[in-house]
Amino acid sequence: MRQKTTGEQNSAGRDDAPADTPLVLVEKVRGAMRIAATCRQAASLGLSAGLALADARAQVPVLSVTDHDPAADLAWLERLADLCDRFTPLVAIDAPDALALDITGCAHLFGGEARLLAEVSRFLARWSDDVRLACGDTPEAAQALARFVPAGVSFESEDATLRRLPVAALRIEEETQTALIRAGLKTIGDLAMRPSAPLAARFGADLVDSLDRLLGSADSRITPRRAAPALRFERRFAEPIARTEAAMAAIGELAEEAAVELEQRGMGGRRFIARFFRSDGRTYDLATESSLPMRDPDVLMRLLNERLAALADPVDPGFGFDMIRLAVPRIEPLTPAQLQLEGGTIAQEAMAELVDRLSTRLGRGAIRRFQPHDSHVPEQAALTLPAVDLPAPAAWDAPQQGEPPSRPIHLFDPPQPIEVIAEVPDGPPHRFRWRRSQHHVVRFEGPERIAAQWWKHAPGKSPGLTRDYYRVEDARGRRFWIFRHGLYETERPDPRWYVHGLFA
Amino acid sequence: MSTAFSHDEKAHKQDAVRVTEPFAELVAASNYSFLRGASHPADLVARALELGLAGIGIADRNTVAGVVRAHIALRDAHKAAAEIGVPPPALRLVVGARLVFADGTPDIIAYPATRHGWGRLTRLLTLGNLRANKGDCTLHLADLLEHLDDLLLIVMAAPTDAPVLHTLHAAAPNRVWIGATMPRQGADRRRLARMMRLAEATGVPLLATNDVLYAAPEQRPLHDVLTCIGAGCTIANAGRRLEANAERHIKPPAEMARLFADFPQAIAQTTALLARIAFTLDDLRYQYPLEPVPEGWEAQAWLEHMVTEAARDRYGRELPAKVRKMLDDEFALIAKQKYACYFLTVHDLVRFARTRDPPILCQGRGSAANSIVCFLLGVTSVDPVTHDLLFSRFVSEERAEPPDIDVDFEHERREEVIQYIYQRYGRHRAGIAATVIHYRPRSAVREVGKVLGFSEDVTARLTSTIWGSFSSSMAEQRYAEAGFDPDNPDIVRLRDLVDQILHFPRHLSQHVGGFVLTEDRLDETVPIHNAAMEDRTFIEWDKDDIDALGLMKVDVLALGMLTCIRKAFALMRQHDLGEHDLTVDLEADDPAVYDMLCRGDSIGVFQVESRAQMNMLPRLRPRTLYDLTVQVAIVRPGPIEGDMVHPYLRRRSGIDPVEYPSPAPPHDPDELKTLLGQTYGVPLFQEQAMKLAIVAADFTPGEANHLRRAMATFRNVGTMHNFREKLVKGMTARGYTAEFAERCFKQIEGFGSYGFPESHALSFARLVYVSSWIKCHQPAVFACALLNSQPMGFYAPAQIVRDVREHQVEVRPIDINASGWDNALERDGHGRLALRLGYRQMDSFRNAWAEALVAARAEIGRFTSVEMLARRADLPSAALRLLADADAFGSLGLSRRQALWEVRRTPSGELPLFAAARAREPLVSELGDEPDMQLPIMPASEEVVTDYQTLRLSLKDHPMTFLRAGLREDGVLSCEDTNNSKAGKTVRTAGIVLVRQRPGKGNAIFVTIEDETGITNIVLWARLFERYRRAVMASRLMQVEGVLQRSREGVVHLMANRVVDRSDLLATLTATRGDGAITPPLARGDEVARPVPSRHPRDARVLPKSRDFH
Repeated sequence: MRQKTTGEQNSAGRDDAPADTPLVLVEKVRGAMRIAATCRQAASLGLSAGLALADARAQVPVLSVTDHDPAADLAWLERLADLCDRFTPLVAIDAPDALALDITGCAHLFGGEARLLAEVSRFLARWSDDVRLACGDTPEAAQALARFVPAGVSFESEDATLRRLPVAALRIEEETQTALIRAGLKTIGDLAMRPSAPLAARFGADLVDSLDRLLGSADSRITPRRAAPALRFERRFAEPIARTEAAMAAIGELAEEAAVELEQRGMGGRRFIARFFRSDGRTYDLATESSLPMRDPDVLMRLLNERLAALADPVDPGFGFDMIRLAVPRIEPLTPAQLQLEGGTIAQEAMAELVDRLSTRLGRGAIRRFQPHDSHVPEQAALTLPAVDLPAPAAWDAPQQGEPPSRPIHLFDPPQPIEVIAEVPDGPPHRFRWRRSQHHVVRFEGPERIAAQWWKHAPGKSPGLTRDYYRVEDARGRRFWIFRHGLYETERPDPRWYVHGLFA
Repeated sequence: MSTAFSHDEKAHKQDAVRVTEPFAELVAASNYSFLRGASHPADLVARALELGLAGIGIADRNTVAGVVRAHIALRDAHKAAAEIGVPPPALRLVVGARLVFADGTPDIIAYPATRHGWGRLTRLLTLGNLRANKGDCTLHLADLLEHLDDLLLIVMAAPTDAPVLHTLHAAAPNRVWIGATMPRQGADRRRLARMMRLAEATGVPLLATNDVLYAAPEQRPLHDVLTCIGAGCTIANAGRRLEANAERHIKPPAEMARLFADFPQAIAQTTALLARIAFTLDDLRYQYPLEPVPEGWEAQAWLEHMVTEAARDRYGRELPAKVRKMLDDEFALIAKQKYACYFLTVHDLVRFARTRDPPILCQGRGSAANSIVCFLLGVTSVDPVTHDLLFSRFVSEERAEPPDIDVDFEHERREEVIQYIYQRYGRHRAGIAATVIHYRPRSAVREVGKVLGFSEDVTARLTSTIWGSFSSSMAEQRYAEAGFDPDNPDIVRLRDLVDQILHFPRHLSQHVGGFVLTEDRLDETVPIHNAAMEDRTFIEWDKDDIDALGLMKVDVLALGMLTCIRKAFALMRQHDLGEHDLTVDLEADDPAVYDMLCRGDSIGVFQVESRAQMNMLPRLRPRTLYDLTVQVAIVRPGPIEGDMVHPYLRRRSGIDPVEYPSPAPPHDPDELKTLLGQTYGVPLFQEQAMKLAIVAADFTPGEANHLRRAMATFRNVGTMHNFREKLVKGMTARGYTAEFAERCFKQIEGFGSYGFPESHALSFARLVYVSSWIKCHQPAVFACALLNSQPMGFYAPAQIVRDVREHQVEVRPIDINASGWDNALERDGHGRLALRLGYRQMDSFRNAWAEALVAARAEIGRFTSVEMLARRADLPSAALRLLADADAFGSLGLSRRQALWEVRRTPSGELPLFAAARAREPLVSELGDEPDMQLPIMPASEEVVTDYQTLRLSLKDHPMTFLRAGLREDGVLSCEDTNNSKAGKTVRTAGIVLVRQRPGKGNAIFVTIEDETGITNIVLWARLFERYRRAVMASRLMQVEGVLQRSREGVVHLMANRVVDRSDLLATLTATRGDGAITPPLARGDEVARPVPSRHPRDARVLPKSRDFH
């Protein structure tokens, strides 16, 4: 059995700082920022994991610092593990920074172990410039060799090399390590050449077991990770099919297969890709997204057909398609919807379906939905976002019971300037001219004073103008939302007025 | 597009002509409503004065912590008006609290109308405080209903709050108002109309307020930032958590009248409420606890009797005229100010401490040493008669401030004294003063930066350039140092906001030991809180507040050196070296003691052990107690920054003539001679600087007092510069040179941060002498006591042990058959004392294990095997391993390695079932034979490294010994050879880094390194530091090349040219036989190298600043 481990330095992957600044990743440990990982340059300057950031800065004042993100490291390791599928199906993650590949029976496919190692090294070099590789008889041996034998050092015999490694290669607790070193047993060899009973009596049977696994005298295997591959459904044709409709019909069959599979898993798809493989090697993709997880084949086909119809560049079958694939790359849990008693599903789904169809036809940005946004500034209190992106419509502030609406149903963007006669300094408007006609204010309420967002203005300059909003009603019963822009005298000598919106 | 704007002729311009109704803003929150109010209490008062308000009411969230500040501000305004002869301002200040409830009751602002009402309010708040966790206050409406007496209430009710209004109106008829606001929220007038209906329905009048959060509208950004800090969000996504506008400032009466034009009665109610309040903080007529005195005696008479008796004991039945006069003066003032009980209290505390068994050592510090009464009561130890100290520096009539007696107790036993106070006066009569924790540059930059969206790293970088946490301003340069463009708009905004938020109170904490005592209930004077420490309660006013209100405070402080001295005396008693107390041999002025100090041999000695002090000793050459007083006071930022040190030294050694700057005629040319006579014409002490201002710059005592206060509160307010012009002008006007005047000011400014009064320095000098005396005559005792009092002082155990060995004292290793928890003394064959290290020197070893071990050893005499120790002392295996690691099995003939191997298989403890049976039988080992493991012998270098890892010191050797051969080949000299080299020679040396310091302005960096032969002091200029920064800051083993300098007094420095980090050599001491992939370092070597003395905050302020810097 041959297995292989790759060691990875994770910091190199996320270096967005200038090339010449040493980079460290930091994390908060009991209130203090401490280094979690360093780049090679920082390491060469003597910075190492565990050092307080303040101490590090005292030594190296110019330092590029990023938050340590173990989840991202693990995700990256997962991605590498995915890619390593090409060498062997048995890949394990050895967190936080290593992969273990069981290459038993795989090496010959690549022309032997050495060739395979070279190939892996060449392949991983694309992802990181600091990869250490080693082959070993057991996973423990491989990881020890990868971690403790300096890169580029070739060794005659695996066993002899292992015996020269420090006891830390056993990956044992620090306390045990220290105790062994204090006893003068500093290398694997020191341990291996001594009787094991006294060792077990003092450090537990685990130590002896670890030693045996490392040296190959006990069996050990990796536990390969289970990938969660996206769903794929394919159909190959002996005879290329030349008509798009026929191809779509085949997709329809695949969609039903997908629906069955998804239902069994209790999942639904958020994204579907139909791929047409032309016999001359060209491929076409039809992709669709949905705002809620779904698996209904009819709905899916309707969406794909919409997409097909909306294509500027139609799918050209040429000499025909010899393979068709439906992939569902993004799946999410979908519990069966409760049907309403009187029949029909809940309106939300109908709405979502409509949004999906329109977004598919008109483009994802074309259908937008208002979303409340926490801001005092009226025009910023609502945002419009692509409807397909929204997880769920957010709740709006409920209007106060018995109170008139404080915001109009229509907002002008931008507000429209008006000419106003009003009381100073902050009295209500008496009459105003808008779109060339005079309006006499007969009722008003206000002002509602909304100050500018000072943090969006350069310091030292004016922090922006305050607005005084009035709800007013003119003699003909029309209701406006108008505001004075700037406080009289303190902010502007002659504040301007605008109509910002209309009430019903 | 143009818009027209015109004044509407028909609009009634009511406010322009009409005389405005007087208005009082009665709902104002200061920044003691933490993270809500955005103005200092004093600023609110100032703004109210400026706007001509009839009154202002300060009411913070469930606290009265800020009201004294407002009270002082108004009092100062009255004083200022009196000084320039204008009528006092009409503004009235009323103080209370905004009660915020946990049960959904709307906020209620409560103002006591009388002294009795104040007591109800503070009782109510105390109830809420003690019920909640620290920093919180949990109140229910029912609590208020129980404490309603004489409280006037403003309910910040919503239109729907009729029920609570009915309840309160019924319980407190005619004492309830509804607070109505016009916050500019659109529907204000409609809301006001509803409130009017509510008022009608409930019979509770409306009162106009603006529910103020800050003084002026410009403070809105600051308030927004505080809101964000409180909510933990950034300004960009704070949304509607911020106020919509800047309206919640204090508004002028005319503006308020305009806002409440629909209901002017609401304005009138503000003055109506104001008129009902008679209470001011001046009514807190403080009753100090009446101390018990014998039947038939008055406190004052009893005090005089006791003191006079003590005086007769000391000075003879017939008191010298001088003493008689001093006593009469002090008695008169004490009687006038009614301070007798206060002195009796302090006397009682000291008596309590001294009558414990064993007694707790204590000694007064600070200006109390100016008082002969304190001296004769045994509170202080300096005789003011012999030292010509003036009582008026301690208490004076014009200062109208209560005396402040600070007493130091042994740091390990201070808690006994504290609990005695609680027990004697009860928690309702005794409380620790608060310390207001303010925003400092570091915390301000961090928190404001977070709000403005700076990453934590950027703010860390900005704060990391602020040296120490006491820097009082964020100088522009700091930003540049951190690599930021100071003109960048984001940085400008950050700086602007940081400047505003600096010195804002953040939360309350307990003072280190200042007790406030009252005769009546303390909680009817000020609310009481639970402290974070168990068994502690504190009040919510700090030292300044207490002073301003004339409350008296007793400072019960902790001093590590007193612990050390007490332990030393106990050891001397135990080893038949005589009975001693703090007056040990003081009169003798023992030359041997001073000889030792003049050599700079002062490791461990109180106050003069820092490197700066050690360098000063050979130059100052102290020969008397007064010289020590000068020594203590001179190595301080005050004299150093005032450039007084060198003139003093030169005059003292006779190089420069002693002369006194003289004013021009007609002033007395010798006016400074009397003042500065004892210090060769150079002002060194705080009082001298003060007196200088009075005599030479014509300050009135009142102004000098202001100056003193400015110096004392330097951290709160940057008011010192106000005095600069006055001082320099005053002095030059009298004919002094401008240069001398400048120096004096600089020094006074320096005193602001760290200066000693003479009396304080005298008290400390005595401890310097006592500790030196012990060190000089009984070095073993001193080292042992010092080690047993750790953590304290400047040095790590390794340096203390090294020092005592250099004084020819044998130090013996920890051993299971000899050591106890504490370090101890043993007699060697020649009857000399040897120091036996104790288990307390071991990391992670526990006192209980040590006790079990010693008890078992006492029973059986001697352990003969590891197994026996484990069984009889019932030690867990962790303890056995630590003992083996510390090489404590030497008396069994086991090497560290053998012992470690043995304990690992020894089962810990013993089953209780067998214990009794076996106790009578000889021990039979149950452990079988094993194959020989043939463990290699531990090399000496590894032994030493392991010693450092487990004990932080080694008696076997110095790590550098093992590197010496290689270093010699590289041409690196030992420290001893370096120190003996010729001045001016360029040498190369290397050693373990003991301490790195960057004092004062940071022009030079001081590093001390150590090897097996001694220490070398290195000086590195800041310019070079930048070049070798990494090596300087990261080295544990530092190699330095530089030029040797030797002062006339023989003090040697190496002026570094080049610094190399050789820490990698340490790894070679333990290198494995493998390929070197692991390098177990001196795990705690860095801590050995960098002693971080954990000090009492109070001590840290008084001791010289020493720190490893960043």
